[in-house]
Amino acid sequence: MDIDDILREVDPASYAIPEGTRDLQALTRAWVAERSSPELLNWPVDGLFERINERIKQQIEKIEDMTGDMDPKTNFALIVIQTELERYKFIVRSYLRARIAKIDKHTLHYLSTPTLRARLSETELAYATRHQALLHNHYLSSFLSSFPQTLQNLNDTAGNISMIDTPDLDTAVFLRLLKDTLVEGRGTDTDGGMNGRYGDIVILRWSDAKPLVDSARAEVI
Amino acid sequence: MYGDLGNKLVQQAKRTQNLAHLPPYQTEIVRAVTREVRDLDKDVADLLEPFQGSFNPASDQATACTLLVNHLSMRRNKRCLLAYHRTRTDRLEELVWKGYDVVDLAGQQVGDGSGNHNGASGTGNNDSGTSSLSPQEEDYVRQYSDLLAAYKGQWTDIDLTGSLEPPRDLFIDVRVLKDAGEIQTEYGAITLTKNSQFYVRQGDVERLIAQGYLQKLS
Repeated sequence: MDIDDILREVDPASYAIPEGTRDLQALTRAWVAERSSPELLNWPVDGLFERINERIKQQIEKIEDMTGDMDPKTNFALIVIQTELERYKFIVRSYLRARIAKIDKHTLHYLSTPTLRARLSETELAYATRHQALLHNHYLSSFLSSFPQTLQNLNDTAGNISMIDTPDLDTAVFLRLLKDTLVEGRGTDTDGGMNGRYGDIVILRWSDAKPLVDSARAEVI
Repeated sequence: MYGDLGNKLVQQAKRTQNLAHLPPYQTEIVRAVTREVRDLDKDVADLLEPFQGSFNPASDQATACTLLVNHLSMRRNKRCLLAYHRTRTDRLEELVWKGYDVVDLAGQQVGDGSGNHNGASGTGNNDSGTSSLSPQEEDYVRQYSDLLAAYKGQWTDIDLTGSLEPPRDLFIDVRVLKDAGEIQTEYGAITLTKNSQFYVRQGDVERLIAQGYLQKLS
């Protein structure tokens, strides 16, 4: 069973699956989406990461308990649990690193408006603010301080060129539809639309795909 | 000519992207570009002085053109400087994430390159000849390491700087490239001596692989 199978089984309405499994699916989905979309997505607000941290802690404790046991049967179970834990930790790590990479790349952009700031978690916000301050200080002490006053800003928009770099929202992403829905996309010459069916895979500009993803009608793959 | 030096910086930055190590900081060029900006700014001020704030671009097009060129050159120089510094800080951050001791490393490289083996360290030394980092960059690296440590502290159970390759096996074969002394694992202590080979838990030796003590055998 690979990730695709896991994701296909997810029906957001189904609560028959135990919470732990659902959290893993939510994490996997967040991870895949974060890695494939060009801009930073919302930080999950429903306490997903608190639960995940709690589970990782429990597993580590369990492993510590089991290590003392020399019974070969437990030993085998131990290896399975440890492998699983390593993989779980990898997804979390990869997810966080993907976010940090995006934040680092367009720090000023994500700090510029309250809506964008809301996408970051508290720790990420603290990190981004501090990092930007560090960079600015570094520029100042390296050369900016001897510049004329009017040129010392890092967020000038004079001359129709904004100094704040923004992510390219028109990059193409692959989507899998989770519901039958109308898919609309902007083209270079004409706009197009099609009636998408459940399970269809389409390639769209991210700016067109975002509403579909936000309303859970499609997922990024 | 205006912008020549800025161009040099950008070329340096471009070159840096493809190099394995960080080339020395171009203190001279950075200083010269900054001076150019200041001179241009002074020129602009001098040009505008006789007009007493009532300058009309339409009536004196030659002066307006000079002003425009000066302004554009200043902005361009600023962009070049920013790009140069950003490329370098990006590289430094990458090194910090990988867990290298950046300040030491930079001092070593220059020492090796110039055949200078007297062990003079570049740490906290204002002379740019001994380290490829500028003093400001050394400060920056130190502060960034602190920042990263603080952020990592929020995720105690997950080693954020760990490998970004998906783990396939719990245990891996490794060969020891450099003596690394004794390490503690939950299966007891192992002594890592050069050229020996071990079958160990990946999580235990990840750091040592990143630092180049061990090599993973596939």
